[in-house]
Amino acid sequence: MLKLDGVCRSYRLGPVTTKVLRGVNLEVSSGDLMSIMGPSGSGKTTLMNIIGLLDRPSSGSCLLEGRDVSSLKDDELSTLRNRRIGFVFQAFHLLPQLSAMENVCLPLVYRGTTRPAARRQAGEILERVGMAQRTGHRPGQLSGGQKQRVAIARALIGGPALLLADEPTGALDVETATEVMSLLQRLNEENGVTIIIITHDPSVAAQCTRQVRIHEGRLVEVVQHSASPVQPDLESRPIVGGQL
Amino acid sequence: MRIFPILASNGREAAGSLRRNRLRTLLGLVGVMIGVSSVIALVSLGEIARYEARKQFESLGTDLVVIRYNGGSDVEGIAIEDALRLADSLPSIAEAAPRITGRGTFRFGGKELGQGSVNGIARSFASVSKLPLREGRFISDLDINQYFCVIGHQIAEWMRMEGGGDPLGRLVEIDEVLFTVVGVLDHYEESYGLPVQIGANESIFIPITTARRINSNEPIDVIIAVSTPGTDHKVAADDVSTYLHSRSPGSDFGITTAKELIAQMERQMEIFALLLSAVGGISLVVGGIGVMNIMLVSVAERRVEIAIRRALGARRRDIRSQFLIESIMLTSAGGVLGTVLGLTATWAISHFTGWGFLISWFSVAGGLGTAATVGLFFGFQPAHQAARLDPIAGLQGN
Ligand SMILES: Nc1ncnc2c1ncn2[C@@H]1O[C@H](COP(=O)(O)OP(=O)(O)O)[C@@H](O)[C@H]1O
Ligand SMILES: [Mg+2]
Repeated sequence: MLKLDGVCRSYRLGPVTTKVLRGVNLEVSSGDLMSIMGPSGSGKTTLMNIIGLLDRPSSGSCLLEGRDVSSLKDDELSTLRNRRIGFVFQAFHLLPQLSAMENVCLPLVYRGTTRPAARRQAGEILERVGMAQRTGHRPGQLSGGQKQRVAIARALIGGPALLLADEPTGALDVETATEVMSLLQRLNEENGVTIIIITHDPSVAAQCTRQVRIHEGRLVEVVQHSASPVQPDLESRPIVGGQL
Repeated sequence: MRIFPILASNGREAAGSLRRNRLRTLLGLVGVMIGVSSVIALVSLGEIARYEARKQFESLGTDLVVIRYNGGSDVEGIAIEDALRLADSLPSIAEAAPRITGRGTFRFGGKELGQGSVNGIARSFASVSKLPLREGRFISDLDINQYFCVIGHQIAEWMRMEGGGDPLGRLVEIDEVLFTVVGVLDHYEESYGLPVQIGANESIFIPITTARRINSNEPIDVIIAVSTPGTDHKVAADDVSTYLHSRSPGSDFGITTAKELIAQMERQMEIFALLLSAVGGISLVVGGIGVMNIMLVSVAERRVEIAIRRALGARRRDIRSQFLIESIMLTSAGGVLGTVLGLTATWAISHFTGWGFLISWFSVAGGLGTAATVGLFFGFQPAHQAARLDPIAGLQGN
């Protein structure tokens, strides 16, 4: 459902060009629960922005559900993000002025769902993430773990093909991190949501059925429990162990 | 339709944002309010002034043709008989009132009352210049060479103070000639609709034939004529000119019609109104720039929010409309408040000046419409900026 082929991304700062991604190949199948690990500054967020259609590769191709997204216009990318992608961020990125319910409704608002219908769906999904009792609370009145549950509900409400989580447990203590991870696992197992988790944390990565590492701008497969066909990146040596 | 839920949501967000940022909203509101209220007040006052001026100018009627004698080789100017026959000779003229003016010292019961103008007139003068009679009668056409007079309001006051009682029937001395008071005038409001001053309050009116007899050198200085209803004022003026020049070839006359004066006044009033609207417009622009500043700050503060919305699938136009709605909401609210303030100010000013209050609906509609347009115009750049923000930078910028 997602296929990256030779994706490169470089940033130009004045005369200096930094090559962050140097030919990323990746194939993600429907139902995967995958982690992407790598040291800070290795380009994990850059990769997620490309997968999440917020950014475009400098070269290489990106196919989402068989569709080459490089030729799409900004509005079409917005619509695809709205319908096919869910984001979960380390900093939660909930809108502080809106209630949990209204935050979760947002993706539906931008696709033109009427308010009552959106609120009904948001209520259901908040219940699924265990936040049924807090729908009227503002983010400021919620704990970190609760915020992340609301954020996950918001990412899920549109029925995305792919849920992208950039260090979803990075701002949480160990206990709530575990809770959030088991929620994501459950959503993957029970609802078949395809999830890519970017993380620093080896224990988070360990809970994923597929684990890849980013190394010198390329991806290296570490663990693959799923049956998805992946061509191992022959040019880069796999790195064993978790020296972070 | 997909767009309505988005617009409704954007409207709620915009209202919420305005409510949350009280001080900022208040500042923007005040700016627009001052702009709109000054547009409305100034345009309304312009219209009221114009209405008042028109009323003034038309108080003596719009059919007046005023002829002034500007001298010439013919020292006598136009003869009294010719002036009085003007109406009979010209079909375009219904009435003509000549006047011979001089100054005189007035005495009553041996005491000096003061100085004033002495006007030799005929019966017609009272009607064309609408002299208000309080008691007695006007100079009549039968008073030829008679020593009768009609006195102005102020003269009557002086006489009452000197001798007490009713001036009617008493004798008043004008430059050592005695006249019998046959009529007393009420207070007279000078009209701007004439190119000449009547000055009735400090005047004494005597028969024109008597005036000529006392001072045979004094020419007729003014003829106030009234054109027949339906006659074009230019035709009447031309007729009068032709007639007078045939009667008194050596004289120079200046002919002005009330319609010319009114047209001239209206032109001036238009320029005046335009100036006033320009002043109002400038304050509205200043208010608009204030709103633009506020919106730019709002956009800068909400970069993260914008980026989040973009990540969740908001298109650029959705972001743009959210901020546009916010600025239009702000300026429209300012417009409504400004309209109320502007109308109140107009009412207060017209109340204290004694002018008639009238609401210029044109300015109200214009003020509200402009307020919304100001929001659209000055909100566009900030909204556009918001829509073009890079979501990645916003999400990282935390
Ligand atoms: N907008 C940008 N302009 C220039 N350099 C950038 C930009 N965004 C990221 N980078 C650089 O790209 C590299 C990878 O960044 P990022 O993808 O955020 O890393 P990670 O998420 O793995 O910590 C870093 O060296 C960072 O400095
Ligand atoms: Mg990162």
